[in-house]
Amino acid sequence: MICCDNVCYSYDGRTRALDGVSLSIEDGEFVCILGGNGSGKSTLAKHLNALLVPDEGRVTVMGLDTADPEYVYDIRSAVGIVFQNPDDQLVATLVEDDVAFGPENLGIEPAQISERVRDALREVGLMSFERHETHALSGGQKQRVAIAGVLAMHPKVLVLDEASAMLDPRGRAGLMRVCRELHAQGMTIVMVTHFMEEAALADRVVVLDRGRIALEGAPADVLARAEVLERLDLEVPPSCRLGLALRSRGVDVTPHVDEEAMIAEIAGMLDGVSCGSGDASDAASASDADAVSQDRAEACLSFEHVSYSYEASVRERAAKRRRPRAKKQAVWGNDPDAVWALHNVDVTIRRGEFVGLAGHTGSGKSTLIQHMNGLVHPTMGRVVAYGENLADRRASARIKTKVGLVFQYPEHQLFATTVYDDVAFGPRNLGFSADEVDVRVRRSLEQVGLSFDELAGKSPFELSGGQQRRCAFAGVLAMEPEVLVLDEPAAGLDPAARHEFLQLIAGLHEQGLTVVMSSHSMDDLAAYCDRVIVLNEGSVFMSGTPRDVFTQADRLRGVGLGVPAAQRMACALAARGVPLATSRLYDVDGLADDIALLIKGAAR
Amino acid sequence: MNEVFSFGSYYPGDSALHRLDPRTKLLGGIVFLLIALLARSFVALGAIAVFIAALYGAARIPSGRALRSLAPLLAIVLVVAALNLLTNHSGRVLAALGPFQISEGSLRSCAFMAARMLLMMCGMSLVTMTTMTLDLTCAVERLLAPFARIGLPAHELGMMLGIALRFMPQFATELMCTYRAQISRGAHVTAGPLGSVRMLSSISIPLFASIFRHAETLSAAMEARCYHGEAGRTRLHPLRYRACDGVAAAILAALGACVVAIGVIAG
Repeated sequence: MICCDNVCYSYDGRTRALDGVSLSIEDGEFVCILGGNGSGKSTLAKHLNALLVPDEGRVTVMGLDTADPEYVYDIRSAVGIVFQNPDDQLVATLVEDDVAFGPENLGIEPAQISERVRDALREVGLMSFERHETHALSGGQKQRVAIAGVLAMHPKVLVLDEASAMLDPRGRAGLMRVCRELHAQGMTIVMVTHFMEEAALADRVVVLDRGRIALEGAPADVLARAEVLERLDLEVPPSCRLGLALRSRGVDVTPHVDEEAMIAEIAGMLDGVSCGSGDASDAASASDADAVSQDRAEACLSFEHVSYSYEASVRERAAKRRRPRAKKQAVWGNDPDAVWALHNVDVTIRRGEFVGLAGHTGSGKSTLIQHMNGLVHPTMGRVVAYGENLADRRASARIKTKVGLVFQYPEHQLFATTVYDDVAFGPRNLGFSADEVDVRVRRSLEQVGLSFDELAGKSPFELSGGQQRRCAFAGVLAMEPEVLVLDEPAAGLDPAARHEFLQLIAGLHEQGLTVVMSSHSMDDLAAYCDRVIVLNEGSVFMSGTPRDVFTQADRLRGVGLGVPAAQRMACALAARGVPLATSRLYDVDGLADDIALLIKGAAR
Repeated sequence: MNEVFSFGSYYPGDSALHRLDPRTKLLGGIVFLLIALLARSFVALGAIAVFIAALYGAARIPSGRALRSLAPLLAIVLVVAALNLLTNHSGRVLAALGPFQISEGSLRSCAFMAARMLLMMCGMSLVTMTTMTLDLTCAVERLLAPFARIGLPAHELGMMLGIALRFMPQFATELMCTYRAQISRGAHVTAGPLGSVRMLSSISIPLFASIFRHAETLSAAMEARCYHGEAGRTRLHPLRYRACDGVAAAILAALGACVVAIGVIAG
């Protein structure tokens, strides 16, 4: 179907983004291209449908050379591509016009176009969304519209260039379901990603590193190679990690990429030892006792019966309530007709805590976060920070220096000519002297691990993506806040960068900062937070230590949220009769310890 | 946002007016403006008012909504009316204050101009309330198409207009987000001249950066879906004139004749 032969490509003529990639993709295959940020995977994706043409080597699609301008439109209609950012690739205001864009360009007859539009939208599960406005859709829905736009051109290959990177877990699940269904119908799928769970579903995995193919093969072979993947800024899927951890404890198991297979194998080994042995569960319950002693610490932020509505007036809220609601909204995400973005929220953040916020997109996390330094004022109730009501204008100005807010994708807010000026923006606004500003810029750049001497004079737009995020983060740290509030700090980073960034935040917490962090990754929340608050439809759904929250997997599943991977596996094992303590929060190592213990006990 | 720009914003519906070809509505709106300019007497304006009221009824737009959509432009009407009141003199002087005076004639022309402008706005707002912006851009594109021969890039203009409209709400959201982020870093508008400049650049530069970022991917996405200009392109909903467009033109012509006739009889 697609054949790449020794492809080399360079954007600037000096460094090679692709350096001799040879790859052939068969008809009907599901190939996953993995790699860290900057490994050249997106560049490769753009070569597959002639958006880029190789400097050296050649790419052929169905035998047609992409370098030949005559075949460009044949190739592009056969190989459809969906990009990363859902906001960038929709052309039209209405869903049907956007899906029709491709066929219109191909000069298809109007009657046929509307048929194709209908079919394509049905295939991505967005039936009867024709007349919806694209900007009002959720991220996941937008990506599915983008896929429909490609499908309407009747392609043979679908290329997804990190199409799931900016989606929440629910949007990602919907996207994966669409991909699997299309693949089952015979579509060739090439998926560029750095999510290992997605790679596990592929027929074949290709790992890129600095423009070369570093690893290639079936997921089971490639994804279990922990050391190599880590060197390539990637990680091993959780089920594999468990398998490898068990092996290192002397248990003879095969690390499976597929979680169910892994669980089946472990459960099979422990078939005889049901119930009674109980020693694992005893050891468990003590381990989390230390987490609770925070209660007496001083409160620095408290929400008292806070409700917030985008409809400011009572009359409009009433009008909105009266309006009949469309039933299908409930299935596809949050109800846009919901009256309250936040409803009767009581939350207290205490000094020195690391608090996690979980919940779907639209559950009110971002709105809650923006209340924390007085950017948004509650419609009802009040927010008190350091004893001052944030409804007061002066108090809210003072609190902005104490509560630092890092928005999602903070690098999009960089603006100054040099890194130095950008980081200095906050301190200068506060009216500090040039010396003090200088001290703060140096300190905050050092805190985020950027070299002052090397980077301070550079333009922030020249930095790499990861560096840009750190630079923007330094801009908030330069305000020297006491509370750090972060909205999805690790979104869009590859596994290695994600880990580093979270470590950085954990380090700042250890130095005494109070941290509030929202995240879609339950694994991250479980690993770093003292306390987790789960929001659902604008209300606090659950709140407590990670152990309290994540041991109630059923309740979380009830609102469509997951639990950390290790906990999920522990639950699945417990459901198969393996005597694991369900009241304990497991990480992968802890789970491996207990299983190894059980298996050794069974062998005796 | 919608509160501010509510003039003529689309009112969803499925009336005969909604289903008219957008080109008919756009041209009809322009013809209507001309007819309104032809009116010379209150009687003629009355006829036009009845006509407009009937159309609003046919489009099933509630009167409250129709009036509210005019509110933002009332200021213009007031200014024009005030100018007429103070300048267009004839007949008896009713009141005078220094250089300003009000006469019978100026009072009449003030009322007449205000009524005429209100009716014209009602007409144009009816066009935009019954037509989606996307259809309007399409109509503009098609109506300009004959000028393509003399080098006017009609298709490209239409495409640009469409994409601009598509990105408008998104940039509004992004601007809001950047604004809030910079406010969180202690920026405020009332911080003296230097502070204000810094504040403005801290908001506008990220916006421009984001526009370029979006533009780059968007152009790749459009190319990937085989966009290559207008040649050989078809449309999901091709614009076609139908019988009802003829009826609309006839009704409009009747109104025009009526207004002219009133002018002749009265004159």
